[in-house]
Amino acid sequence: MMGKQPILSLEKITKAFASNTVLNEVSMNVYPGSIHAVIGENGAGKSTLMKIIGGIYTKDSGEICIDGKSVTYTSPSQAIAAGISIVHQELSIAENLSVAHNVFCNREPINAFGFIREKELNRKVAAIFLKLGVDIDPKDRTANLSVAQQQLVEIAKAVSQNSRLIIMDEPTSSLSDKEVDYLYSIVDGLKAEGISIIFISHKLNEVFRVSDCISVLRDGNMIGTKETSETDMNEIISMMVGRHIDDLFPPKSTKITDEVIMEVSGYTKHGMFENVNFSLKKGEILGFSGLVGAGRTEVARAIFGADPIDAGELQLHGQKVKIKYPKTAIAKGLCYLTEDRKLLGLFQTTPVKWNIVSASLRNFVSIFGFYKKAKINAQSIEYLKKLDIRPFNDEIQVINLSGGNQQKVLLAKWLSADPKVLIVDEPTRGVDVGAKSQIHNLLRELSEAGIGVIVISSEQPEILGLCDRVLVFCEGKITKDFGNTAVTQEDIMKYASGVSLAENRGEKE
Amino acid sequence: MNRIKTLPKKIGTHNLALITINVVLIVVMASISPYFLTGANIEVILMGFVLEGIMAIGMTFVIISGGIDLSVSSVLPFAAIITGFMLKAGWPPFVAIIITLISSVLVGFFNASLKNILNVHPFIATLATMLTLRGLALAISSGANLSGFPESFFFLGQGRALGIPFPICVFIILALVMGLLLKKHRYFRQIYFIGYDPQAAKVSGMKVERFFLFVFGLSSGLAGLAGVLAASQYGAAHISFGIGSELRVITAVVIGGTSIVRGGSGTMFGTVLGVLFMAIIYNALVMSGISTYWQDVVNGIMLLAAIFFVEFMKNREKAVN
Repeated sequence: MMGKQPILSLEKITKAFASNTVLNEVSMNVYPGSIHAVIGENGAGKSTLMKIIGGIYTKDSGEICIDGKSVTYTSPSQAIAAGISIVHQELSIAENLSVAHNVFCNREPINAFGFIREKELNRKVAAIFLKLGVDIDPKDRTANLSVAQQQLVEIAKAVSQNSRLIIMDEPTSSLSDKEVDYLYSIVDGLKAEGISIIFISHKLNEVFRVSDCISVLRDGNMIGTKETSETDMNEIISMMVGRHIDDLFPPKSTKITDEVIMEVSGYTKHGMFENVNFSLKKGEILGFSGLVGAGRTEVARAIFGADPIDAGELQLHGQKVKIKYPKTAIAKGLCYLTEDRKLLGLFQTTPVKWNIVSASLRNFVSIFGFYKKAKINAQSIEYLKKLDIRPFNDEIQVINLSGGNQQKVLLAKWLSADPKVLIVDEPTRGVDVGAKSQIHNLLRELSEAGIGVIVISSEQPEILGLCDRVLVFCEGKITKDFGNTAVTQEDIMKYASGVSLAENRGEKE
Repeated sequence: MNRIKTLPKKIGTHNLALITINVVLIVVMASISPYFLTGANIEVILMGFVLEGIMAIGMTFVIISGGIDLSVSSVLPFAAIITGFMLKAGWPPFVAIIITLISSVLVGFFNASLKNILNVHPFIATLATMLTLRGLALAISSGANLSGFPESFFFLGQGRALGIPFPICVFIILALVMGLLLKKHRYFRQIYFIGYDPQAAKVSGMKVERFFLFVFGLSSGLAGLAGVLAASQYGAAHISFGIGSELRVITAVVIGGTSIVRGGSGTMFGTVLGVLFMAIIYNALVMSGISTYWQDVVNGIMLLAAIFFVEFMKNREKAVN
């Protein structure tokens, strides 16, 4: 394989957004007719790298070579012309048009006046489908297709562009097992045609099944590329996570009691999560680990009443409660700090002060409904001091604060609602190291003060360093409760990437 | 048998329902009033809504592309008034019309640029243009009625071709041509991709910004044309032309099955049926002697009902799949 000329080679690609370096001198070669998996944790830079290859983003520095020739492109159409196309994770199909129109998306065969030759279009698409072994009627409306079929339409689109390199971004994320097998057979067919494929996934068992070689990205760095036949799961996992955990975390709890604060049983939302059971004890910080889309956030939102559930029961301090709306959850002392504080958590253009009291407004009004200004001011000043929010000014708009301080305001907002259970989703994403450790210490203090704390995090060092007990989610199920045993990142990765599920299936057969 | 079965598939359940409603309306009206189906009244029906019809053709494009254009109701009097001024200054009608149409298209380009460059939502951008243009038209005409145009200008609004009033001919030809382009022509068809998901369209290599220029330019240009026709039809130009017409135009397009909630769906055939429906309803209101004050109420309710109906059908279709 090494003797051949790579179809695509990347030399020291670097990309930064504002001051945040997302890709740092990444180099990689993709050879003709090979399936090249690119893997890494969330935020490792996979998607950014693919968008640079596909011409959606432009690189800051470095070189992209196609067939050994250096190319510079500034728009997706140039990448497409160079033979590179992307099958996006979120499909971009116009539902009201026919399948054929979507495949040839604005490149339909036309006559001299620009009118579409409908028959020729349908014939061409039928020919592509025949070659791929796909059974879809080109004249069908796209809205009538299943997700898997839509995926195939996207692949057919790439084939119709005479692409020699097709990038598939998490192609199996919404497919059933049977559909996945079908997709693999199509991918193998493309490979046999000499088309190269970059396959992005975080499901390791999948990657080992289809790929010829595997490149691992971590924190924007290319850690290395291995031939799939010459490596194993453990080596790849340690390449993916291989950073050390520093002593930035507060000491683990010594006061875990048997008193159960919250008990969740049989929580089910079909298609999202199935039969989720766990209990939260007083004094412990419980960690939810797993990959994005594994169901962690969905379960948290359901507990908070933001999404309805199909089945399940919730007990707070031994009492059965029904929570259908976030309002009820807040009244019962259950608080949820959203993953995306910009979208769901904070009022960006409102002063810090009002954000802090926004979840507990009824504590700050007189019986006639007028605000008690002095009480609001006292509350916001108290939290500004307690959480060390900077600058020390509760009149400025939240949008002007740094990420870490915004996160503290969000915490203050929920703390002022006097919570019994606090669920924090990615509490330190985009937060600098100093503020991170302040937030960790605060969570520990809250937990020791008797508030139940659940931390959802994709950062494994955070899960391992902060939490007393870790639950791992995969494909909507809790695949492992690590109890009080010592856990390593490798253990978590094993259960989070579905390896254990695959093993279980294997055992059953 | 087979042919009948595929009929709803071919023209769509929505259009089929609209055709049925239109036919029922006509039958009911004809049974109530013997004058309803006379040639003279049919002409009245169509002429009463023909300017809105012409604007609805452009509006169909705008709404499918995911936008909205409120400014049409001001472009109309603005165009009528500047045409009027040029005619009174003794310019040849041909030149006056061309200049008016170009200015109208430029208004549309301005609307699109607000969206493209400043990322202003078309609702706000075209609302601002609507207010500004109406004010401008009022300022330059001082609210006066312009009249005394040359004879040769009157053909457009008052003449006939093959016995059909000229504005109706314009509407029919425009609807046929633009409908054909929308359905069959590659450049125009990309509107369905762009309206459904502009980001995805961009990633697929379409020139989305330039297309918005075209769409808003078309809408404004047709509103300008409606203004010219109005000036010719009435032999005058006045600021009160076209007041509230944006609502009637949008209602007709939405009744025609174009989704205002999410872009990417709609047909010209549906819009023509919507225009026909509105024309009949307005005529029925007049004939039944209901106060014109109630017309806006009827219009508002119809718009809401149409949005509800279109979205309901869409969700149901999805649920079935």
